[in-house]
Amino acid sequence: MALKRINKELQDMSKDPPAGCSAGPVGDDLFHWQATIMGPPDSPYQGGVFFLTIHFPTDYPFKPPKVSFTTRIYHPNINSNGSICLDILRSQWSPALTISKVLLSICSLLTDPNPEDPLVPEIARLYKTDRDKYARLARDWTQKYAM
Amino acid sequence: MKYLLVTTGSILLTASVLVNAYYQKKQFYPSVVYITRSSPSMAVLYIQAFVFVVLFGKMMRKIFFGQLRAAEMEHLIERSWYAVTETCLAFTVFRDDFSPKFVALFTVLLFLKSFHWLAEDRVDYMERSPVITFLFHLRAVALLISLGLFDAYFVHHAYYSTILKGPSVQLVFGFEYAILLTVVVHTFVKYVLHTIDLQNENPWESKTVYLLYTELLLSFIKMVLYMLFLFVMIKVHTFPLFAIRAMYLTLRTFKKALNDVIMSRRAIRNMNTLYPDATPEELASGDNVCIICREEMVSGCKKLPCNHIFHTSCLRSWFQRQQTCPTCRMDILRQPTAPTRQPATVPQANIPPPAGVQPPIPPVFPGFPFPAAWPHDGQPGGQPPQPGIPTVVMTSGTSTSPQSSTAGVSSTSGAAGTMPSSQTSAAGTASVPPFMMPPFFMPMPFMVPPPVPDANFSGMTEEELKAMEGQERQNLEARLQCLRNIHTLLDAAMVQIQQYTTVVQNLGVQFPSPSSATGNAGYVPSESNAKTDTTDSVRSPRTAATAEGAPMPQKTSAGAAESSSSGKDMSSSLSTSSTLSSTSDMPDLEGAVGYSSSKSDIPADHVNSQADSSSMNEIRRRRLQKFSSENLQALSEKDSSVKSDERVDLN
Repeated sequence: MALKRINKELQDMSKDPPAGCSAGPVGDDLFHWQATIMGPPDSPYQGGVFFLTIHFPTDYPFKPPKVSFTTRIYHPNINSNGSICLDILRSQWSPALTISKVLLSICSLLTDPNPEDPLVPEIARLYKTDRDKYARLARDWTQKYAM
Repeated sequence: MKYLLVTTGSILLTASVLVNAYYQKKQFYPSVVYITRSSPSMAVLYIQAFVFVVLFGKMMRKIFFGQLRAAEMEHLIERSWYAVTETCLAFTVFRDDFSPKFVALFTVLLFLKSFHWLAEDRVDYMERSPVITFLFHLRAVALLISLGLFDAYFVHHAYYSTILKGPSVQLVFGFEYAILLTVVVHTFVKYVLHTIDLQNENPWESKTVYLLYTELLLSFIKMVLYMLFLFVMIKVHTFPLFAIRAMYLTLRTFKKALNDVIMSRRAIRNMNTLYPDATPEELASGDNVCIICREEMVSGCKKLPCNHIFHTSCLRSWFQRQQTCPTCRMDILRQPTAPTRQPATVPQANIPPPAGVQPPIPPVFPGFPFPAAWPHDGQPGGQPPQPGIPTVVMTSGTSTSPQSSTAGVSSTSGAAGTMPSSQTSAAGTASVPPFMMPPFFMPMPFMVPPPVPDANFSGMTEEELKAMEGQERQNLEARLQCLRNIHTLLDAAMVQIQQYTTVVQNLGVQFPSPSSATGNAGYVPSESNAKTDTTDSVRSPRTAATAEGAPMPQKTSAGAAESSSSGKDMSSSLSTSSTLSSTSDMPDLEGAVGYSSSKSDIPADHVNSQADSSSMNEIRRRRLQKFSSENLQALSEKDSSVKSDERVDLN
């Protein structure tokens, strides 16, 4: 079941890749993927290329895939381990979601951080109080790690 | 590379320590004493032992697992980290027992633990790996068996040392190995399930169910073990801080497993009973790809109340984890379920056909006492006869429409002739609301019919109908039972009527004879019936024959009341004991009066019997008035039990 569905998603990804994202298996283990996200043009992450790893659980799609950034990024909802605070990757997961939808959601999270539910409180505070400084730091990190 | 360096370094160090000792003391025994006395040499030897343990571990890993995958390595390191910190905490509790042996035991424990984790990971990997080799099976089985044996041995050892020497650190070991034993059992069950799954081409749907229950059971055992351990530890030593994390995790797992089992059972039951199967049209229209597995839906699909369609098997798997619609997240457990039953006041929902359009039809009842002797089709009231026998075909036994009730009326007047037929055809349709019982009968349990759906189901949506299907069988059975009871009553009523008409004839009471020929009709069946009746001592063929020519009360309601009341008196005064007993005992009655034709017909052809029942209701409504109160009581007792049965069915 899981393998079939992952194969289908892989086909869909190659047929109709989502904007600014790509993903594919690492080696021949279909349960372990690597993905890239281009920094969205209207965000301080513009120009960066961010790598992510995706681990599918054995009971995918009934459990969410484990997605994390391998590239460091300055973002209120992504910590230094690359863990992403995104509800659809935890409690709000649904089997109707796909990797491409998840990647698109992460893209939109990059554009619009959610400081109300932060994983890194300092960045969230900065984002709320001093947006310019946050943008500058995020750009610096992007240049340093993702270019 | 790093490992190699450390290993060679440690071996060199050990060698140098040994050589140094030997050179200094020249002999074996003094050199051993020298080494054990000098702390630096002992430290070097401990390091060497550690290196050997690690090497041994690597060798075992090579034998049982081959190359570890990245995820497994990650898992192993993460868990080892927790295990080491917890072991350090345990050391603080057992600092009195601290000795090299103690450390060695903990190392062995850690070692075995890490193999348990790896075995778990490996067995989980079975599900995602496309090819499972024979070597894999061999390794897995060998590993699980040996781990199980080790655990069992250590538990056994810890148990006896605790029994013999009193509580010591062995308590912790025994408990830890007991926990590990449950892990082995769990892993083994998973392994067996996965292996069975792999043998089949198609995914094995019930595997998740077994996994769920295994998890529930084993987490329960684990929880009990932890509780026991906590209790014992607090009694003997102190609060086992090092076990808190694992205990918390176990509690959480158990709670989750329990919750999963309960919720998924509810959701799946809902799915099976309430939600309709998707029709081929629904599948054909629009996108027919199941959004869960991304495969085409051909059959075996269910439609949720939110109109989203999925494979039943996919939904089942999903509901085992969460109970929401995958597409719209609607909580299916909180959703008010589709009405599964109609209120008992359904008869009002029947749409009466326009009066006069449907003339009364004296239907030939299969269950009616004298079907063959029914001579006058459509005669009452001079209405045009309608050749179609009961046109009212209903799925609900007790629902009535005016059409059938008038049919009942006319049949009544035709059949027995003693009934006040104030309702002729037109009056019957218009004046008597269908199924309106005299208040007198309201307490009778089956006067309130079991929750009955709309007669033609016109007011109901497809979903409601589908939803009702689940209980329909029980409902039908209950209704059939109800119908049989009605029939018994009718038979009893017929007996009484015949008795009192006979009595009336014998007493020579004359009623004004109507010019209409309708009334005579009823006496043909009575006659034939009376002839077959062997037990009724009151009646005789002669009186029945006399009754044929008897005048009928048909004109006025006053006459009807008169006949009804007089008939009642006479029947109550003259009713024989055989009638009374037969009323409360169906087989007895049927044997007595030969009305048993119904017995085969009603269950076999319930449509007919239901059509009958509506008119029977009408008959019954009148005839029952003549029952003595004793009869009524007996009946209501009997029927209340029937009704309670129905209630159980419906609930």
